[in-house]
Order: sequence, then C-alpha cells, then structure tokens
Amino acid sequence: MIFLFGPLWSGKRTAAKELLRWDDAELSRRAVWDVQELVRERTDLAALADELARNDLVIATEVGGGIVPADAAERAARERAGRLSCLLAERADTVVRVFCGIPMVMKGELP
Amino acid sequence: MMTLIVGGAGSGKSACAERLIERSGAARRVYLATMEPFGEEARARIARHRAMRANKGFITLECLTGLADVSLPSDSAVLLEDLGNLCANELFSPQGAGEDAAEAILRGVAQVRAQCRDLVIVSNEVFAGGMDYAGDTERYLSVLAYLNRKLAALADRVLEVSGGIAMYCKGEENGCGCWKP
Repeated sequence: MIFLFGPLWSGKRTAAKELLRWDDAELSRRAVWDVQELVRERTDLAALADELARNDLVIATEVGGGIVPADAAERAARERAGRLSCLLAERADTVVRVFCGIPMVMKGELP
Repeated sequence: MMTLIVGGAGSGKSACAERLIERSGAARRVYLATMEPFGEEARARIARHRAMRANKGFITLECLTGLADVSLPSDSAVLLEDLGNLCANELFSPQGAGEDAAEAILRGVAQVRAQCRDLVIVSNEVFAGGMDYAGDTERYLSVLAYLNRKLAALADRVLEVSGGIAMYCKGEENGCGCWKP
C-alpha cells in the first residue's frame, strides 16, 4: 500500500496520478482519499488503518498544523487524524508527502 | 547535542523524541514535563505519555514555568516536552514571566543545555491553520514561532515530524533526507 499525504489542496491526487501513471478511473478504483474525515466517526484507529491498508493507495489531508481547536471533540478528532496517518505510514510500503504539488518519498520506493 | 523536533497534532513527535533520547549515550534520562495537569483531557494525555515512557528509565521533573531554575543530574539526556505548553504557561499563568516569556525560555534552554549531555526539545507546528487570529492567540503564535526560529538556529539538528516519520531540516542529513527510525 502507498500512503500519500499532505496539506489541503497541496496537489495530492494530481501527484498520485502522475507518480503512478493512473487516470481518474484508476484512481477511483484503487485509491481512497480524505481518510482523515473517517476519524470523526471512528476511534478504533488500528482497525481502521488495517481496513484502509487493503487499498493500493490511501490519501490523507494533514489537519494537525493549526492552532489547537477550542472545541474538545474537534481537538480529539484532529489528534486521531494525526495518529491515523502514523498508523498508515507504518503499514505502508511507500510513504509520499506532497508539499506545494511536489512529492517527496519519505519511506520505501515508488513502484 | 541539541535537537529541536517540530510536529503537528498526533504527528508522532513524542515517539521520535524518545527514540533520540534512547540513542544518547548519557547515563540518565530526564523528562521535563510542562503540561499543567488540569482537567480530564490533560490527565489522559499525561497518562498516555507516561505509558509511552514506562520502562525507558526516565526521571520526570515538572517544569511548568521557570526553566532556568531546573537542576539536573549529571550526564543526562533531557527531553523537554513541549515548548508550546511552556510558552503558554510563561505567557499566561500567574507564575509565568508574562512579557518576558520568550527570553525567560531562551535563558532556561541555555541553562538546561549547559547542564546536560543531550537535549531534545519537542515543539509544535501550529502555524498552518490560517492567520485569522487576534489578541492572546496571535501573541502566543508569534512568541512560539520566535522561539522555534531562535532554537532552530541554536540547535545542532532540527527535525520536522509527520506521519511518524521525521525529516531533517538541519543536521546529519540536511535537506531532503528522511530520518530512518
């Protein structure tokens, strides 16, 4: 599994398609994105990461880089989103972080 | 050796900092705790970090404010966690340095560094959530950012952690290299 993440609108899906030479249809079939949103409903992060890791590509938006939210539930969800990324990175063969549209391989190699 | 580790919420920065401390050859491991243990959430967070450090032989010293007054055992590797809390305490708590917060912390870091073999400082990426802030929040952000810049300039190594993987901004693998855990 490839885990690809980065800030909002940093060009993650575009970078993924270029790196993997996929079109939109293949991306839809083999990838799942915005997985950071799933932690609003889910707190069993290891099980969630295991489920997500069955996809060929998992994409998350980094949301932990702002000021700590005043709302406790938002705060907890943001923390879970970060932990989910750590768990996905652990399970991934390849980890790519996209910044300003530029991909950087943090772990493993691109296929 | 002084290392600054910066990361966002849940980025894995604590685990990375602990691994660096474990690699230090110092005789003792000291954890400088900065979080005020008020409320259920803070207690849960403290308990989680305690569990992470269990069996790693850390001596825990509380340092909510007044870092310059900390007295350390000889030949120690020190983990200061985290700068975001310390900064808030110095700025806003009654015991804090208030206007002098940034300089008090920098003096404290210099004191701690002079007393130990290795120092790892965990700090917080809280600067990528927009800039629509005012008053105390803006003040806090500007002071913490100032400390991050100053300490990064003083540090031997600066790492940014995300997804549990650390990237060197300064030090051993300067530039694009990723730190292999």
